Amino acid sequence: MAAEAQATAVGGLAGEMEVEAYRRLFPLAFLERHLRESVRPDARRPAEARPTTVALAAVSSAHGSALVRLGDTAMLASIKLEVMSPSGEAPDEGSIAVEFHMPPICSPLVRPGRPAEVAPVISKTLEDILMSSGMLNLKELCLISGKASWLAFLDVYCLNADGSLFDAALISAVAAFTYLEIPLVSVGDDGRVFTVGGNEGKAKYELVNREKRKLTITNVPFSLTCALHKDNVLVDPTAEEESIIETYVTIVLDSSDQIVSIQKPGGAVTSMATIKECISLAKDRRRKLREILMDSVEAMEVEQTD
Amino acid sequence: MSAATAGTYSPAAAAGEKRRERKEELRRHLAEDADWPRADGRSFHDCRPALQLMQTGPTTAASGSAYAEFGKTKVIVSVFGPRESKKAMLYSDTGRLNCNVSYTTFATPIRGQGTDNKEYSAMLHKALEGAVMLHTFPKTTVDVFALVLESGGSDLPIIISCASLALADAGIMMYDLVTSVSVSCFGKNIIIDPTSDEEAWQDGSLMVAYMPSRKEITQLTLTGEWSDGKITNAVELCMDACSKLCDILREHLKDASSLAE
Repeated sequence: MAAEAQATAVGGLAGEMEVEAYRRLFPLAFLERHLRESVRPDARRPAEARPTTVALAAVSSAHGSALVRLGDTAMLASIKLEVMSPSGEAPDEGSIAVEFHMPPICSPLVRPGRPAEVAPVISKTLEDILMSSGMLNLKELCLISGKASWLAFLDVYCLNADGSLFDAALISAVAAFTYLEIPLVSVGDDGRVFTVGGNEGKAKYELVNREKRKLTITNVPFSLTCALHKDNVLVDPTAEEESIIETYVTIVLDSSDQIVSIQKPGGAVTSMATIKECISLAKDRRRKLREILMDSVEAMEVEQTD
Repeated sequence: MSAATAGTYSPAAAAGEKRRERKEELRRHLAEDADWPRADGRSFHDCRPALQLMQTGPTTAASGSAYAEFGKTKVIVSVFGPRESKKAMLYSDTGRLNCNVSYTTFATPIRGQGTDNKEYSAMLHKALEGAVMLHTFPKTTVDVFALVLESGGSDLPIIISCASLALADAGIMMYDLVTSVSVSCFGKNIIIDPTSDEEAWQDGSLMVAYMPSRKEITQLTLTGEWSDGKITNAVELCMDACSKLCDILREHLKDASSLAE
């Protein structure tokens, strides 16, 4: 109510003010004025996500990588495989180590030596989601039971931060795993595992993993973040919208539309009906994201056969 | 997890032997032959193509930004400001330039070597300091942050050129664009714009950061074995390449600004 009163109070002044100045001085009134017309400052409808693209194999020094653009948000995920000795409890399993980075280039709020507060939070959530969704079968990362298995380092870098960072990070992580190419390896005389090229060493040493070059990704989780402002549900918020609106819900669904996680950190009270609305929006979004990912994988395969 | 991490190794590094033999052979060719096609098919005095692969504006959150891709080397530079200096800083009549260079954990073949590169940060600062009109933004700071997505040789010269493009994109006043090129010395030969393999085997290296319109060198570093005559040749070669690179950057900035209109 107070905000609306403020909006009318500045109404007279706003007539004489430049749009850009009004946007900065009265961000909330600016947003609400848009929402009354069911449109957002970037000309999207409330339930419309930003255009999303996935480019696979963006970094050649990694075994799997993907560059994802979600509107202006850009996320680069990369996976590097290293060999480790598996732990005693799970001798036939590999493992993954997830890290989310926000380098100073991505946002004016991050400075060197002063990392962003959200980075470790996203890092942890991402790891939890990847592990609990059942997307990966860690047994596929095993090389020799009890002796050697893969440790997959997943590093996600935010190259440009413009809101919905977790959604973009999850898409890029999933895409990188989908296109992970496991190198062919052999065991040397010293018991250490080493990579072999396509032709060399075929007679000398036996290959360990001739069949296991790709992971079978069965259950792919995708997420959708919704910002909640009064009665409005704004899908896939930008950084500007995130800075104004305090309440948001992140919903993660797997391939069969089962809920993997719902998060609503703080903010205003929300009704169950709103949460349900968010879930149904997340279902639509999941289908779209799946198509986008499939298309990019196909495009990559066509490129390789050419 | 942390206990397991300590015991890991990269299987590619353990492959060794055969690569080492090939390396020796290539090194001999680079050092002795008059001209020999390099691993990526260039001749000794060819730079990697820059024309299509330098762009402004990848990072919309920044005041200005630029992306550069030379062969495998991929760099993003963002410029923020001029903005308020840190509280701890003393009053200053001139502006400050703050530079930081970092690497992604997957930039180098072995994971996580030097993610924060202090040496390159200092060298980037020295290379740009002379070109930026610091007196045009008193009391404030301009931050230049570089992230190397993938390291494929000649990293620092590419960071410097990319940073000056990002500064121009941010509208920071400069005397001239700074471009930088490095050469490697192999026996009697000089090889321009080396890849990381070539850098690993070189006898010596020379890097020049240059302002072509003013014909001024902002930074020159020389390491390894060199003779007098060869240094002169190498510096001239670098300066010539810098001028050409600068023309490309300038064309690009003109195109970008005419597009914006």
